[in-house]
Amino acid sequence: MAFVELVGLTKQFGSLAVVNKINLAIDKGNLVCLLGPSGCGKTTTLRLIAGFIEPSGGEIRVGGKRISAPGASAPPEARNMSMIFQSYALWPHMTVYENVAYGLRLRKLPKTEIRARVDEILAATKLSALGERYPSELSGGQQQRVSLARALVIKPETLLLDEPLSNLDANLREEMRFEIRRLHDEFRYTTVYVTHDQSEAMTTADLIVVMNQGIIEQSGTPEDIYQRPMSEFVARFIGGTNIFKGKKVGTDSVACAGGLVLRCASGDFADQGETAVSVRHHDILLFADKPASTDANWIAGTVTRQIYLGSHRDYLVSIPGGETVRTVAPITVAIPVGQQVWLNFPPEHCRALAH
Amino acid sequence: MTSTVQAPVFNRGIDFSKPVFILLAAVLAVLVILPLFWLMVYSFTDIDRNVTFDNFIKLVTDRAMRRSFGIAIGMAALVGILACVVATPMAWLVARTDLPYARFVRILVTASFVTPPFLGAIAWEILAAPNSGILNILYRWIFGLTDGEFLFDIYTFTGLVFAISCYTFPYVFTLVANALDRVPSDLEDASSILGAKWLTTLRRVTFPMVVPAMLAGALIAILQALTMFGSPAILALPAGFHVITTKIWSLFQYPPKLELAAAAAIPLLLLTIILLRGQKWILGRKGYTVLGGKSGAPRVTELGKFKWLAVAFVFGILCLTVIFPYLALIKTAFTETIDAPLTWESFTLKHFNFVFFEFSATRLAVFNTLLLGVLTATICTVIALVVSYLVSRKSVAGAGILGVLATAPVAIPGIVLGVGLFLSYANPTFMLYGTLWILLIAFLTIEMPAGYQQLSSAFQGVHPELEEASRILGATRLKALWQITAPMLRTSVVATWCFVFIGTIRELSATILLTTANTKLVSVIIYDLNESGDLGAISVLGLLLLVVSFIVVYIASKMPLGAGRLQPRG
Amino acid sequence: MWGKRTAFVALAGAMAWSVSVAHADGYEITPELVEAAKAEGTVVFYTATDVAVAEKLGKTFEEEYPGVKVQVERAGSERVFQRIGQEISTGIHNADVIETSDAVHFLMFKKEGWLASGLPANVLKDWPKEEQDADGQYAAYRAHLSVIAYRSDMIKDEEAPKSLADLLDPKWKGKMVKAHPGYSGTIMTATYAISQLLGWEYFEKLSAQDIMQVQSSTEPPKKLAQGERALQADGNEYNVFRLIDDGVPVKIVYATEGTPLVVGNAAVLAKAPHPNAAKLFYAYLFSQEAQQLNSDFGGLRSFHPGVKEKAGRTPIKDIKLLLPDSAGQEKEMENIKAKYEEYFGT
Repeated sequence: MAFVELVGLTKQFGSLAVVNKINLAIDKGNLVCLLGPSGCGKTTTLRLIAGFIEPSGGEIRVGGKRISAPGASAPPEARNMSMIFQSYALWPHMTVYENVAYGLRLRKLPKTEIRARVDEILAATKLSALGERYPSELSGGQQQRVSLARALVIKPETLLLDEPLSNLDANLREEMRFEIRRLHDEFRYTTVYVTHDQSEAMTTADLIVVMNQGIIEQSGTPEDIYQRPMSEFVARFIGGTNIFKGKKVGTDSVACAGGLVLRCASGDFADQGETAVSVRHHDILLFADKPASTDANWIAGTVTRQIYLGSHRDYLVSIPGGETVRTVAPITVAIPVGQQVWLNFPPEHCRALAH
Repeated sequence: MTSTVQAPVFNRGIDFSKPVFILLAAVLAVLVILPLFWLMVYSFTDIDRNVTFDNFIKLVTDRAMRRSFGIAIGMAALVGILACVVATPMAWLVARTDLPYARFVRILVTASFVTPPFLGAIAWEILAAPNSGILNILYRWIFGLTDGEFLFDIYTFTGLVFAISCYTFPYVFTLVANALDRVPSDLEDASSILGAKWLTTLRRVTFPMVVPAMLAGALIAILQALTMFGSPAILALPAGFHVITTKIWSLFQYPPKLELAAAAAIPLLLLTIILLRGQKWILGRKGYTVLGGKSGAPRVTELGKFKWLAVAFVFGILCLTVIFPYLALIKTAFTETIDAPLTWESFTLKHFNFVFFEFSATRLAVFNTLLLGVLTATICTVIALVVSYLVSRKSVAGAGILGVLATAPVAIPGIVLGVGLFLSYANPTFMLYGTLWILLIAFLTIEMPAGYQQLSSAFQGVHPELEEASRILGATRLKALWQITAPMLRTSVVATWCFVFIGTIRELSATILLTTANTKLVSVIIYDLNESGDLGAISVLGLLLLVVSFIVVYIASKMPLGAGRLQPRG
Repeated sequence: MWGKRTAFVALAGAMAWSVSVAHADGYEITPELVEAAKAEGTVVFYTATDVAVAEKLGKTFEEEYPGVKVQVERAGSERVFQRIGQEISTGIHNADVIETSDAVHFLMFKKEGWLASGLPANVLKDWPKEEQDADGQYAAYRAHLSVIAYRSDMIKDEEAPKSLADLLDPKWKGKMVKAHPGYSGTIMTATYAISQLLGWEYFEKLSAQDIMQVQSSTEPPKKLAQGERALQADGNEYNVFRLIDDGVPVKIVYATEGTPLVVGNAAVLAKAPHPNAAKLFYAYLFSQEAQQLNSDFGGLRSFHPGVKEKAGRTPIKDIKLLLPDSAGQEKEMENIKAKYEEYFGT
């Protein structure tokens, strides 16, 4: 059953709808990622859920109870949520211990219980030795852990994360991704996680919600989103892809520029106007020699760039009609720049996108 | 651990921000709008309260009035420029170089801030009056010149600009020095790594970063100069010219022309609004928040062979603003007359005896001054804190209006506010005239902009997420303000309290219209004494005022800072 | 709360008034009056007399009548006038006895009905008739002159100006100090008298002399004492006397054209909060003791026949005086201030 529900949620700043009538249901114990480019409304959505801002329309329900609606919003402190901020928002005038104990002290728990629970969470986040330090004396990763500990120690009904890893360096970020997922699996809080990093979303989320310009483009499991994008935007945003545009021909094919005709095994076609076809970089097959049959889903092109990446080679191939196709090939396939190649787009990997 | 739903005790708590907002809006509206309302009524009506534009026509056609406006604006602009030119390099030297005794310099600058401008003006009368001024006497003595020759004449336009700048430059200094303390070194390092020489970095990165602070400070300095009454009354009148405040004051001579005075305040109000808009625009474009992220300690420039030059510059400024005037006051307090030579024969305690034992007004005035100082500082700081919170966090729709209300009094010259308050509260409904309440209201109104400006710029340095983190963990808005923001702003809060306290005990321009026999203040008796030319007694009272101010600043600076450490330095 | 208090004040005022009427031929200080004054405990005195003189007077009164405290509120005449106007128009009755050096004020006070009737008996008996109000509401408490004076160590006696006209000599350019008619009742009176005698051209020429402009008429003598200026164009005679007594090398010039006489009236307010103490203090102000103190310590001129002037001071009968004309001055006040600002800039 859905625990957190957004119904027609809208937030306008002036005439601009930053969040535009979005609907979303989050099951209890699930981790949902709001994913999208900056300015897509994901952070605003999160802040609406937290109660820092009041919606202009629609409502938010938690556990079936309405907590946000225009003119009738519960304040953040009454929502039993926790949040991890992009800046960590650690209070510089409190020690690590005091930072973590803060939420428990607000709940007026007995001193002994506070100590026990803080010690427990500090251990879980590998911070036991740092309790008496001030935040300014910690490394970025340690600060991030304190932030996590402080949010988790109060056992919130809902946990909100706002780009929590964007200030960390790459190694630490990857480590913390798994750490967050591990902690989620351990505590199973209903979690809303905002990020613009698709791999972060893929690693951590039960459900990914892709947002763009204030609306939800698509929501689904990581696999859904990746394998079955519903729009050009989602296809482009999640994982690398090539987009070809053309008119629908026959029942399941799209005729693109330069004589390329792509038969698509899945997706929706636009009856009028252009249909886009998405083919992932690694789904395109690259041949140095002309194959026997090249009538459908084949095209010839010229290599314009080739990069050695250790695990594979990354190619840019320009095809007739002016498009440039990006694809990858095994290390063993080494074709110099300027040489002609043939590209095959297997229909089962071609997805037609009506918009 | 599972996500058990606890019975959240705080769920019962009401969010007080709305009621607090409404209460504050009401309080500020009464403080600000009521006097302004009467000001408007008077400026647009004749003596029988019939609507008329005559007052404004008189304003524009009266040559003397136009002249006083021109002089006041010119004076204020020059004060602003002078304050920036002096204070910005000084702040940089103190905050970012290995200038020796930097801490000491900060203390002395605080001293010149603490000095009431009218007292400074009187001290400069003692120093640089063309004939009796100590500096001119020395000048004649050194060069063997005859009477009538002089080096300085404080009773001139330039003299006035100088005397006001001496006591307004700390506004720029403090803000710029604080900004420099907070500009993280990585911003400068980034410039250096791109190949900029230190001077280029200074010019292209460091300086632009503090420009908002400098302009904010200059704005305060300009507004102070524009609305200042005491110093022009002391220096401009002997020189034979009016600025707008003294002109307005002269309109209260019998028979008072309240309508014209009210009308004369309106252009001042508009001018101020324009200045504030400009400041907001500048700050809005180049605003930055530094606290909350990772930031290195400020980098320190080694002065090397320029060290002595810097010391001479800073020491020279401090001589002009603090050391000379203070010595002059001390000398005047302890000698018979101001030109008496410094010998044991001329030493006297008669001025002290007069002030403390013969002058009946002293004791009551001291008590009233301290009482009002403490009350105003405390109430004003609390209100300013909450208002700047609501405004900077935009947490309630329409919060911006509070900021406007809290800033608006800056545009009302104290003397005009005095009239507005008199008209508002000295009637059978309130009957506050003749009580300390009307003075408290006046001081709250006058000090609110300064308090609000101070705290709102402090708020801008605290990342909003720090409070949000507290709220989402279950703290109400007020609790978050109290437990998180307040401690982080402690230094700013203490500074604001001192600002307001000191501002209050030296307030003169509104006080002078609102005070009565039972509500005398030290600043008023100083002005009364100046009117009768008792420089000895003035010096004694002035020193008393200064000693009290310094004790306050000292106690405040020694306050235990608790567990918090804002920016530990290596 | 306020209502009660106001009613009390009004009642007290009414009582004081009825008492005064009963003694229309002047009242004496009786033991009953002293007792009633002591019961009130305080008298509030709004005055424009030099602060040190006024404080001294208060002290001697307190010694004479222990149990009655004097609260001296000193400011320039125009300030005192402004304040009392503000207070009374808002129903605040702080002051018991009021005194300014601007005779015009008392015309206004009387017109507004703010003053109590009843003068001490000795005033009715000894004072010239033109120095007491016909209705017994006020009388001349003091008189003083606005005089030219100079530092005798900075200006040789033979070079010193002898007349108002001498002040226009270019050699005094930048050397003079002068008080302001907008702030000082004394100077307002003097300016009116001189403008009547010499016309406004005199002031127009005087303004070209680069004069240091101060506010109160007590201030020019103090500027002389400081040595800030060598010559005062106008200012209180009594302050100069006091400087001479203190040994400051200052000399007075009684201009050949005449010296403006300024009369300072005093009155008891109709709604004085301490009506009996006010009456007692008021009577004391006109006593020989107080008047002699004003003369000796304050350098003020007195209408009391028993007051002896200090040796070395020119007796008032030997000075050519410009006598005040309050009624004429009242009409001209606005004009005087406007003209003055035109010439002197403030």
